[in-house]
Amino acid sequence: MTWILPQGDWLSFEGLSCPVRVIRGLGEGTQGQVFEVELAGDRFALKWYLPRCLQQDPSLERRLLESIRATAPNQAFLWPIALLRPTSGSQDLFRSSRGGFGYLMNLRPPNFLGVVEHVAGRVDITLRNALRACFFLAEAFHALHSKGLCYKDISLGNLFLDAGTGHILICDNDNVDVDGRDLGSVLGTPGFMAPEILMRRDRPGANSDLFSLAVLLFLLLTRHHPLKGQLELEIRCLDEPARRRLYGEDPVFIFDPADSRNRPDPREHLAALVTWPIYPGFVQSLFQQTFCDGMRNPCRRTLTGQWMEALSAALDHRQLCPVCGMENFGARETCWHCGQSLPLGAWLVAANGRIRPTPDNEIHPHHLDGFQTPQLDHPLARVVAHPGDPALLGLLNLSDVSWQVVLKGGGELRVEPGQTCNLTALTRLETPLGTVRQEFSHSRS
Amino acid sequence: MAGFPNVRLANRPLHFFYLCDGSGSMAAQGKMQALNQAIRQSLPGMARVARDNPEARVLVRALSFADRARWHIAEPTPVDQLEWRDLQAGGCTAMGEALILVAEQLRSPPMEDRALPPVLVLISDGQPTDDFEAGLACLMQLPWARKAVRLAIAMGHDADLEVLQQFIGPEPGTAARGRTARRPLQASNATSLAQYIQWASTAVVGAASMPTSRMAGAELEGNIPLPDLPPTELDPMDDVGPMVW
Repeated sequence: MTWILPQGDWLSFEGLSCPVRVIRGLGEGTQGQVFEVELAGDRFALKWYLPRCLQQDPSLERRLLESIRATAPNQAFLWPIALLRPTSGSQDLFRSSRGGFGYLMNLRPPNFLGVVEHVAGRVDITLRNALRACFFLAEAFHALHSKGLCYKDISLGNLFLDAGTGHILICDNDNVDVDGRDLGSVLGTPGFMAPEILMRRDRPGANSDLFSLAVLLFLLLTRHHPLKGQLELEIRCLDEPARRRLYGEDPVFIFDPADSRNRPDPREHLAALVTWPIYPGFVQSLFQQTFCDGMRNPCRRTLTGQWMEALSAALDHRQLCPVCGMENFGARETCWHCGQSLPLGAWLVAANGRIRPTPDNEIHPHHLDGFQTPQLDHPLARVVAHPGDPALLGLLNLSDVSWQVVLKGGGELRVEPGQTCNLTALTRLETPLGTVRQEFSHSRS
Repeated sequence: MAGFPNVRLANRPLHFFYLCDGSGSMAAQGKMQALNQAIRQSLPGMARVARDNPEARVLVRALSFADRARWHIAEPTPVDQLEWRDLQAGGCTAMGEALILVAEQLRSPPMEDRALPPVLVLISDGQPTDDFEAGLACLMQLPWARKAVRLAIAMGHDADLEVLQQFIGPEPGTAARGRTARRPLQASNATSLAQYIQWASTAVVGAASMPTSRMAGAELEGNIPLPDLPPTELDPMDDVGPMVW
């Protein structure tokens, strides 16, 4: 591979007081190349554009400068930090006749792998972390759209995942634009593009982002594409015209309740058939909203906030099958994996939600305060097993205040931050944000 | 152990064919060695692209043509299991027969009912010495051949560009400015050969297996949009348009 920037050399850029050392080339895309660089003792990634990319996208510099000024919507974005142009003295070191530019961003930590690794079945991940990844993705788009911005070209290629935590990173943020302004020429990637964009009836924006988001969420949860069913099997050669039919001219959701033409094939599309029944109806219906009504009517698509609520609620429903240990999410009365009946069991009930007392399930501020947007990053409490007796469950106080706990039989005790209280004995706990009760319900919903 | 169900994204086969000229003239100026090296060096990158495109199952075959055409790698081989044994040069240029061999493999069966567009890469430094027209006609009557991404690399200055263009398809109109893979790629030295082989085995495999970003105004030419060609040595940044007019 021919690298545009000389590796090992120090380069000076306009507006930077110290030079940047190019450590090594990291990769190459259609737009340019990415390098690991050192600046003032810190390591960063530098994306450098190919001249033909700058030629094709004259508003790129303006969008980047605006993004840099706007700062990252949240921590899930590998956002541009600074635009770099070579000083006239450095110019000769660039393997390019004209100056060009690039931008600096943080390096992607090594624990983040391409989401393709997950959909290809090459990483171990729990269903919990797949759902968390979905939540974080919806949250990232929520933050982006809340700033009045849109992404335009999300696909498997620019999404990275830490399978151990469910955290995600969104890369290639250089198509980000003010929603509705339509600077720049990217349309998206077939398969992820909303039908109206693929068919050139509209230009990409926040509404088409909502379609792409739903495709990615579906892929994360099922390892299958939402539009690949029987209609895909009828295609012999999957090329551009075929993709246009499948994703643009006649797109049909594989689980569309009103149109069964595109149902998954039990042999070819097994992933969809195995995974779809795992998820509760309130998650499935959001996919139906986007891929049925919302297929032709962009303003009917599921909003980021709806996804966040449903995905966090699905996590709250997480229950382990007492026989096989697999994770279930309240979708059915029996385990999706072994078919055993699941116990009705207990709930931790707060003012704005209820949580199954399953190890790793968490109580978050939004459970207690209905005005808070769901968040997963600052849990107040987590269900944990006793280190010496895995059957004994407790609630770990992750907040910075002590709880007042009311026990069965009426006794009370204080649980300080960092302490865990035995769930078998707990009836109710009082926190400054509100009350959580343990209830044994007689119904599943 | 609780975990995600043991399922994975459905995939389709992507058949990749190298059609390598093994005629006597390839022995001159180390051309055969350069081609062997270029293909061998391109394999890790090809394996990486295959890995990044889980919707494709990339399977490679190769044949060479001299006095006769014969399979060099007859079995469709997953790219990460591929070992490239050196091709030897010697004999005439049975390019027409090579196309007939490929045609036999693009019939259904042995072709699967469903696949991604095959990729055919024809590399030659000379003129066919057998009935090229008949071979091409035999190939092009097959739907999978017509759907295939067909690329041609001309090694050196003696290659028959007209024949290679016929293999690719109709020459693009004058509107297609600069270099395009809808015309034969001209590799004048080992470096540019390696770049084209690398490009065909990575960027083209990627484009044929999974769609990439689309820009407004980019009109579809052929049934798979071809990625930009690698920069050439003389003009590292490529495609700046005519220098003088």
